[in-house]
Amino acid sequence: MSEGRTHAAFESPYDLRDALKRLAADGVSSKDIEIRSSAPLDHDVFPDGAGVHSRMPWMALLGAFGGGTAFFLMVKLTSEAYPLPTGHMAIVALPTAGVITFEGIAIGAIICTVATVLYECGLPALFRSRQGPLDHHLADDHVLLSVRCDEGASEAWTAGALETARD
Amino acid sequence: MSNAVARSHEEQLIRPLTAFRPKLFVGSLVTGLLVGLLFYSWGYQIVNDIGVAGINRPVFWGFYITNFVFWIGISHAGTLISAILRVTQAEWRRPVTRCAEAITTFALMIGGLFPLIHLGRPLIFWYMVPIPTGRGIWPNFRSPLMWDIMAITTYLLGSLLYLFLPLIPDMAILRDRAMKVSPRSVRTLFFRVMALGWRGTPQQWHSLEAGIRAMAVIIIPVAVSVHTIVSWDFAMAVQPMWHSTIFGPYFVVGAIYSGVAVLMVAMYLLRRGLGIGEYLSDKVFNNLGLLFLAFALMWGYFTFAEHLTVWYGHEHAEMTVFNQRISGEYAWVFWTMIVTNVVIPLSVLPFPKGRSPLGTAIVGLGVLVGMWIERFLIVVGTLRYPRLDFNVGTYSPTWVEVGILVGSVGLFVFLYFAFVQTTPIVSIWEVREGHHLEVKARMQHLAAAKEEPHV
Repeated sequence: MSEGRTHAAFESPYDLRDALKRLAADGVSSKDIEIRSSAPLDHDVFPDGAGVHSRMPWMALLGAFGGGTAFFLMVKLTSEAYPLPTGHMAIVALPTAGVITFEGIAIGAIICTVATVLYECGLPALFRSRQGPLDHHLADDHVLLSVRCDEGASEAWTAGALETARD
Repeated sequence: MSNAVARSHEEQLIRPLTAFRPKLFVGSLVTGLLVGLLFYSWGYQIVNDIGVAGINRPVFWGFYITNFVFWIGISHAGTLISAILRVTQAEWRRPVTRCAEAITTFALMIGGLFPLIHLGRPLIFWYMVPIPTGRGIWPNFRSPLMWDIMAITTYLLGSLLYLFLPLIPDMAILRDRAMKVSPRSVRTLFFRVMALGWRGTPQQWHSLEAGIRAMAVIIIPVAVSVHTIVSWDFAMAVQPMWHSTIFGPYFVVGAIYSGVAVLMVAMYLLRRGLGIGEYLSDKVFNNLGLLFLAFALMWGYFTFAEHLTVWYGHEHAEMTVFNQRISGEYAWVFWTMIVTNVVIPLSVLPFPKGRSPLGTAIVGLGVLVGMWIERFLIVVGTLRYPRLDFNVGTYSPTWVEVGILVGSVGLFVFLYFAFVQTTPIVSIWEVREGHHLEVKARMQHLAAAKEEPHV
């Protein structure tokens, strides 16, 4: 029997929660379930937790460290490579180098944050993502549920999920 | 608000993207002409050289640097305010953030043009780029002008990305809508590209929200650094009424003040023009009006402190500039600024009726004029009377400088109109999220009420 996906659209996250509970009770693994929404869902919608993770703060910090180091070295090494006359004052003065270093810290953190978002979200995926049969419901603020299943069982699952939602 | 009502309100947001709006079209046409004026004036200056501008010894910084400081100040409207509201989780922020962030991005782009215009020959700008010249000399990183380049570049990059990240899910909503109606249109292709293949899975939402939170935290110190560094362009010079330790915070407060002013005007026009009063509600204007009032007080306080210390010190060169402001040549300009920036806001904004959309927009327009005057007084007022008495000179702008100023306003509005016609000006997903949270809170309240024992 070939593998397929069953899709369902729910009007509210609470309808979805009921359907998820039902699917969990039927023994469907959370790995086989994909949920999509047009706005972030509250974590209490998921019976077993959303199972999501992010390395965001650490990646931003790493970027900040890298950017700060790179900019400080740029100021230091280039100033020393061609020392302009400073009237016996420091060639690389820490307060002035600090300003550039601060901007480097910020720029590194910004770039790393955005890169991490794109990486964790799997974006850009212009050619990978295809429109699903119910995607237009997302525009109407519905929540989509997609369950990987055997073709024979799909009808029953959809019916079950929707029935629970209607209750 | 039921789901159906919420959807009908969303239609109002999406309509400028899909339907012809005569007002927007006429507005784009008029501002397009002003953009033409900007580039004509600039082109005229490039061809005939910087001598066609009124700047001359000792006033080497005239309208161009005034405009530069003014536009960079305006840019503090969006990203900073939006970031502060996000970090503090102010629920009423949801309809405000995007229209504010767009202001930042466009104002920064225009502000960044002015140093190029001021150079006279824009191509020599590459001396400021951190690459070595033919003689192996790198830019002088000790110069505040170099700090400007770094800070503004960082802020522009950060603001662009901070605007773009929350835009992705909205573009996906528009994509899904458009795919149903006209899958092969150019507009659909635009939405598809801008959505980057967003699917809206819990993992994507989690990462996006974490990213937006991180960006909000990063962007606040960057925004503060930008206008502090702009103030250091002045404060690092030993010129009368520039060499001040409070110039950094004074400029930051002034920048946010002018930023809130432009936001109030923009929000009023959007509310009137697009009919989105359900989003940009009276409550939003009232809350931002209170913030506006706080900044009016802070700006007034800083201005007083700045002038008091100069007057008390009574140093000759400082007093020359001071007297020109208070009772001399620039007195009428100075007192106009005080009326628009302090007297009117403090007479209108403390009252709830004054914090109406129209009230805040009128005050905002006045503050914009006043803040431009403040920048002009700082730049030209001081340079006309430098420390060397024999070096006193005059400054009057030419049509080229006036044309560029008017054209820059036109360019800003033109870009804003273009933005309104290509992206939803209110973040749809954030408003939906707020709606979900509201429903959840109501359900929890009902559940708690049911559980309460009856007496």
